Amino acid sequence: MKVRFWGVRGYVPTPHAAMLRYGGNTCCTAVTGDHGELVVLDTGTGFCMLGDELMQGEFGRGRGTLTLLISHTYWDHILGLPFPGVVHIPGNRLDIYGPDSTRGSLQMVYDGMLSPVYSPVYGLAHIGATHRFTTISTEPFTIGRLLVRALPLSRRQHSPIWAYRLEEEGRVLVYITDVRYNEERIREEAIAFARNAHVLIHSAPYLRAEQVEDYGHSRIEDAIEVAQAAGVERLLLFHHAPNRTDDELDAIVSRLRAELATQDSPLQVAAAAEGMELVV
Amino acid sequence: MLRYGGNTTCVEVVAEGRHIILDAGTGLRMLGDSFAQEQAPRQLDLLITHTHWDHIIGFPFFAPLFDPNLKLDIYGLARTQSSLRTTLAGALSDPLLPLSMDDLRAQINFFEIGAGHCFELGPVQVRTALANHPYRALAYRLETPDGVLTFIPDTGPFHTVLFGEERIEWTGQPTARSQSELRELAAMKAAILELAYRADWLIYDAQFTDAQYARFPHWGHSSATQAREIAEEAQVSQLILFHHDPHRTDEELDRIVAEQQALAAPGLLVTAAFEGMELGRTL
Repeated sequence: MKVRFWGVRGYVPTPHAAMLRYGGNTCCTAVTGDHGELVVLDTGTGFCMLGDELMQGEFGRGRGTLTLLISHTYWDHILGLPFPGVVHIPGNRLDIYGPDSTRGSLQMVYDGMLSPVYSPVYGLAHIGATHRFTTISTEPFTIGRLLVRALPLSRRQHSPIWAYRLEEEGRVLVYITDVRYNEERIREEAIAFARNAHVLIHSAPYLRAEQVEDYGHSRIEDAIEVAQAAGVERLLLFHHAPNRTDDELDAIVSRLRAELATQDSPLQVAAAAEGMELVV
Repeated sequence: MLRYGGNTTCVEVVAEGRHIILDAGTGLRMLGDSFAQEQAPRQLDLLITHTHWDHIIGFPFFAPLFDPNLKLDIYGLARTQSSLRTTLAGALSDPLLPLSMDDLRAQINFFEIGAGHCFELGPVQVRTALANHPYRALAYRLETPDGVLTFIPDTGPFHTVLFGEERIEWTGQPTARSQSELRELAAMKAAILELAYRADWLIYDAQFTDAQYARFPHWGHSSATQAREIAEEAQVSQLILFHHDPHRTDEELDRIVAEQQALAAPGLLVTAAFEGMELGRTL
């Protein structure tokens, strides 16, 4: 399978000259299976750009099918959904998997986001593409030849935050975002879930030394430790802090690589960037 | 799109030390961060045109919300369906963000206002009118000691579609055809022209090209041509095209400004808003 990042920023979009190389759109990652299955992990503002590209193909003719795997419904993971033309073209099909919140189902959250006080779409009923919502569970399922496993790793107030593991012919991609390792059990579950992944995409907004109140989000060092403990091959840091410049990210990655080299660690680490593609 | 910028709607007005903010799009986060670097104001007024996402999504990321020394007055359109406070609270609380209004430390007051409302914010006289936009939106006129600024970031023109609470099902034909609807559109336009009358600066919706407007009249946005025509009718000094389409490149905007300037009535300066643009002496 192939991965392409469309949005890598956390919290809020940051269209800024000092952040252009890594990019300012919020979380959206596209995965394409070897047989053409298209799976999108979260629909932050990066989804708008992905939608523009999809418009050039089957989706522009109302014949596209897209599976969305939503980790949770905070803004930076969902706000891009209603904007691209492809979701308004009848005939296109959206299969949306994600968690319900104790304050409402996934479908209700999307419907509320599109209600007229917030959006000129006036509700989900007016999204032209056929859409089906499925509450995610830990039961593995397939999308074409991709096997999907999901796990509710941590939660924030009423919202559980799920991680996803995609497998195809022995190749493994794991996506862990917005996790809070406030209990050792959660860290152990993450390590087991990411075991032997070829690629781990892990949210990593801040370093431990940065004194930022960040709702208990995992730190960059957590991502490294989990990846190492799980025997991950490549770690992609993701969900970058809104104020992090390209040069700062470069420096962080260089330092992490130097530290891994001194430990003789086989782990490869990079910071995810908008437009970056990789083969799992 | 970097020269004009990619943040959504947020404009700061400073008049004799009074800070007034127009809309709370993603630009608001950077405005909040800029305060941290200097003397942060103790009082801010936030005037909201409407609560579509691109006008409020910066609100939860506005650092001064957590400053207990700040007094923040928020003005927005009174609605029967939901309060302004409830709408903003919904944008920052679970399951969309892990905050609640109780987490905000600033002293926040909400003022729900309507069209034709007049009030004073220190040295600034504010007046409102209704714009022609889905689910309705306000427009503001600010008469400051340094000049008059009129802010109409989201409005369709006043001849094809009349927007209200209900969604418009666009069939390819103009929907506002009854006499009462045409009268209402004419009245709305008259109020908008009055709001912009002889303004020094008119910030106006110019999302579309004329060709795009013809395809999407039910979106509630205007073309640059329509913006210029309003500016001319209202005898405005400077038109600032605003609410650029997400796909509009810097080069296209340069070209649109040149085209509209070439067509403009004598005395009208046509410009396009860009991030960091400043107008007026102290504005």
